[in-house]
Amino acid sequence: MALRRALNVAGRRCAQRLCSAAWGDTIFAVSSGHGRCGVAVIRTSGPGSRGALQSLTGRPALPPPRVLALRRIRDPATGEPLDRGLVVWFQELQLSWLLGGFSLEFPCEVKACHGTGGDGVHQTPPRQRPGSAGPQSFTGEDCAELHVHGGPAVVSGVLRALGALPGLRPAEPGEFTRRAFRRGKLDLTAAEGLGDLIRAETEAQRRQALRQMEGELGRLYQHWSDALTQALAHLEAYIDFSEDDNVEEEVLSQVDATVRALEREIGSHLQDGRRGELLRGGVRAVIAGPPNVGKSSLLNLLCQRPAAIVSPVAGTTRDVVEVALNVGGYPLVLSDTAGLRDATDPVEKEGVSRARDRLQEADLVLAVLDATAVPTEPVGLGAALGSLQPPPTTPCIMVLNKADLLKGKGGSLRAACTQGHPLPPVTLLSCKTGEGLDHLLALLARELARLCGDPLSGSPSLTQSRHSLHLRQCAVALARYGRERRSDLGLAAERLRLARRHLGSITGHVSTEDILDIIFRDFCVGK
Amino acid sequence: MLLRGSWRRLAQPSAPRPWHRRAGSEAGAAAAPRYEVVVIGGGHAGAEAAAAAARGGARTLLLTHKIGTIGEMSCNPSFGGIGKGHLMREVDALDGLCGRVCDRSGVHYKVLNRCKGPAVWGLRAQIDRGLYKEHMQKEILNTPLLTVHEASVEDLLLTEPEPDRPGKCQVTGVVLGDGSTVHAGSVILTTGTFLRGMILIGLETYPAGRLGDQPAIGLAQTLEKLGFAVGRLKTGTPPRLAKDTIDFSGLQERAADNPPVPFSFLSEAVWIKPEDQLLCYLTRTTLKAQEIICDNLHLNNHVRETTRGPRYCPSLESKVLRFPNREHQVWLEPEGLESNVIYPQGVSMTLPAELQEQVIRSIPGLEKAKILQPGYGVQYDFLDPRQLTASLESRLVQRLFFAGQINGTTGYEEAAAQGVIAGINACLRVRGKPPFIVSRTEGYIGVLIDDLTTLGTSEPYRMFTSRVEFRMSLRPDNADARLTHRGFEEAGCVSQQRYEEAVKMRAALEDGIATLKSLQFSISKWSQLVPEVPISSSRRLPLSAFDVLRYPEANMELLARVVPEPLGKLAQWRQLAERLKIEAAYEWCVENQQQEIEEVRRDEALRLPEDLDYFAIDASLSLEVREKLDSNRPQTIGALSRIPGITPAAIVNLLRFVKTNHQKAENLSSEQCGDRLMCWGPGQS
Repeated sequence: MALRRALNVAGRRCAQRLCSAAWGDTIFAVSSGHGRCGVAVIRTSGPGSRGALQSLTGRPALPPPRVLALRRIRDPATGEPLDRGLVVWFQELQLSWLLGGFSLEFPCEVKACHGTGGDGVHQTPPRQRPGSAGPQSFTGEDCAELHVHGGPAVVSGVLRALGALPGLRPAEPGEFTRRAFRRGKLDLTAAEGLGDLIRAETEAQRRQALRQMEGELGRLYQHWSDALTQALAHLEAYIDFSEDDNVEEEVLSQVDATVRALEREIGSHLQDGRRGELLRGGVRAVIAGPPNVGKSSLLNLLCQRPAAIVSPVAGTTRDVVEVALNVGGYPLVLSDTAGLRDATDPVEKEGVSRARDRLQEADLVLAVLDATAVPTEPVGLGAALGSLQPPPTTPCIMVLNKADLLKGKGGSLRAACTQGHPLPPVTLLSCKTGEGLDHLLALLARELARLCGDPLSGSPSLTQSRHSLHLRQCAVALARYGRERRSDLGLAAERLRLARRHLGSITGHVSTEDILDIIFRDFCVGK
Repeated sequence: MLLRGSWRRLAQPSAPRPWHRRAGSEAGAAAAPRYEVVVIGGGHAGAEAAAAAARGGARTLLLTHKIGTIGEMSCNPSFGGIGKGHLMREVDALDGLCGRVCDRSGVHYKVLNRCKGPAVWGLRAQIDRGLYKEHMQKEILNTPLLTVHEASVEDLLLTEPEPDRPGKCQVTGVVLGDGSTVHAGSVILTTGTFLRGMILIGLETYPAGRLGDQPAIGLAQTLEKLGFAVGRLKTGTPPRLAKDTIDFSGLQERAADNPPVPFSFLSEAVWIKPEDQLLCYLTRTTLKAQEIICDNLHLNNHVRETTRGPRYCPSLESKVLRFPNREHQVWLEPEGLESNVIYPQGVSMTLPAELQEQVIRSIPGLEKAKILQPGYGVQYDFLDPRQLTASLESRLVQRLFFAGQINGTTGYEEAAAQGVIAGINACLRVRGKPPFIVSRTEGYIGVLIDDLTTLGTSEPYRMFTSRVEFRMSLRPDNADARLTHRGFEEAGCVSQQRYEEAVKMRAALEDGIATLKSLQFSISKWSQLVPEVPISSSRRLPLSAFDVLRYPEANMELLARVVPEPLGKLAQWRQLAERLKIEAAYEWCVENQQQEIEEVRRDEALRLPEDLDYFAIDASLSLEVREKLDSNRPQTIGALSRIPGITPAAIVNLLRFVKTNHQKAENLSSEQCGDRLMCWGPGQS
């Protein structure tokens, strides 16, 4: 009797679960890029994926999950064949799982306490719950993929057929990733990394993004967060239990040591000169210099096309002209600016002021001077550079243009360039003949490599200003911990809580229960 | 063993309409006495609940097996501690009893965590069991509107539910052991460990509530039939020792505070002279004890079994198993002024009695100690507190409230705190007034009840300061400012006298802070006035006395000495001076937390419909999330966000769903009283 009742309950629950497959809509999109191509991949995600695949292949039987199968694809409305292509699908959860997964017990949350042991009792790890296991698909939902021929008519035909199915709609930009994030398949930093990977245009960007997507940055932050959680837990144990229990004073000095080490690590991570961010967003290089020295010609030379108007008249460039370049695998955003002089014309005046603003924000300055008009010794060259007033800490490359016009002056200037110890790197260039371009590119690549770092070596770089903002606040809180720790442990703990919250906002939250778990794992406490 | 393993859903009711089972109850209805609130159980939760309901103006009946056991401290002879002291202050701020009674019964008062900052001070005292009981009974028996009756409760009277609230029926009274009935507007169940209570010593087991008490059977069956979900927990108690057989000479002494700090805001001082306080002693277990325990695990059912016990109050056996080869602290605590009993804190055990003696005698100072009563373990069922609302009313049975150990907590203080809230709300429910909810942002009581009703518990729940997000704001010193005003205005459970005291203190604090802030000098002037305070400021601006007061080296006395006018009179009022100092030290932190507190309050103001079918709603939620929502049934978006495993995305999705279906939700929960509707206005507080 009781058993039957239990089975009824179970059956109801099971039915609820099966029906629940109807929630949420199913999205679809071309995942392989647009335009004519050999093969196009169309992906769907959501509970309707299974039905969609059945409708389009015209067969109720699907291939086994994760196995490609060749199928004729038809428009289910008209029965018209659209293409013959490979289909594959990824199943959300097995039916047998579903049936075996229900429980007759009260469904209650198993807190994150495995392994801590109860009162002398060993725990078994919690049984996986439906949904938490997730399917082995990108989004964590049922997914189907149709690999069809890439002709526009084929693709649009399949998309139209999919759109006509009930419950299916075109995906919004980024929606597949969003679903994956929501299903816990990615953490926030990995999702950001994936976005970067898709947008990566240069090799170095790709390497960095891939590293981040694979969770390296997330793991680094998680590692810090774990260390901080542990330190906080030990401090909390000291606050809540030390008076009565075996929580010794050494715990505090360990916490201090952890906090100091974290502070150092986060500090040096922050001191990386924004290389991750630079690599991700591109290094902003500004071409600056007096009027009519060939700044716009340099821009055109570097991007191999007449992006900026050039003329022999001084003050031709008024507005800022921007081009994006790939130099040695590193991304460069190059801006050409108005020549720096005391202009009288109101339009040129505005141009000069914009040029100066750009110069202040630059990650790299390409200071262009007229090789025929500069002094030939290092001190004089330095003064000429100084007259442009570049920001003192921004790296700079001096480009002495019009080298083809140098004649006899060339030798001494070249000498000044090579021995120019107090000077930034200097190169002679002729935009007209292209002479010296290789040297300039080499110099640029060297500076870019220095600014962006090697994305594969050392700890993963900070790629987003969102991260650095939270990390900076985290570091501040850690520093204050040190100051308050002697006078008021409650306040000091508050600083650690704050620091942890900032780390948590980068990777995901940590709860009070995590702290209690560590307390009870690491200490023998009892009142 | 998993928590889940020890959970089971009690059988569904076999009779379709269980409230018609007792024909006799309706016949006798006319003659049956009627109370507004009936409290079942006279433990710490029951006593506070009954007193709070009566203070609120409800005609209240307290039903207990024995009046003589009201106020009995069945386990440790102490009250308070870290986190627990906070709860007591809050109970006192709502005019509850335990704080004042402790101020009249303590024999050793000690504030724990003195050097760790006032936000985490733990007020604690060793209490004389006899005195506590005596004073508590005096309070209870002299509370106006409160009747105490000795009777066992066999059953609940149930009837059709009020249609516009969740619940399958409502309670209208109780059936006593002699078959007579009592009608009630609300019923509060505070019956502790009575549900399938089992005592274990060695391999022996006895069914019992506590030693010597009889377990309640009829009531347990009724709850079972109603379909309440229960879990099983265990706890233990140490053997009691004869004081005159202990050699204290080589042991470390712990002296009490001088002067002792009272628990109650109304007490100027505690009853005992500081120098008359008793001592506590510290000793440690040796490896010999470990040996005895490990050699005899086969004789120890309690430890081997799989029920969850508290991680923080483990038996000596589990300490030895989990942290081997260490000494474990044993506090020897007096049980009273005249008592010959010593309570060895830290060595609760369930070995057979003769082995307990061997373990005890392996401990320095206890070589000749005589065991007066062996330690034992208790296993018991508790009701899953997630079946309760934040007012502690059951969602299954309307007007039925639960408080204390039956909800899975441990400790007198946790029980008392729930008792007060259940008492207040049972009274408000009868009056048809909105419930009195303490938010997590307002008090430890709020954290306790929110944790229980939102997350449930897998072990006996005890309060810690680390559970509290806003620890810096929710301090023992300001519990009155947080709760007394609300208790008076909304719950009516606070006496006029206490309210006036709180109003006076609040005004004095505000004045004092204003005075301190307006008193400004240059940094060099301050350095001259108070050279002992290392003022370091890069600011050129003048510094106020309030700014100076936040330095650890500064206090009101010092400031009053150098600026007697106007600070002299502030420093004279000792409590005020101490509170001003704390306010100054925590100002930045409290300000920092304010924004977060606002966020939590906003989330708590977003109420979710009680009857939302999480499996059916059309929002993008994973199956896992839906299951969690269905079993936890959070009442607000705030509570929802604290359920482990609920992702921020799920919260957003649910919010979006509820917002777009706002109109529908309103219709769904039609004509419910205002507080239960989805409302997007400001918080209740």
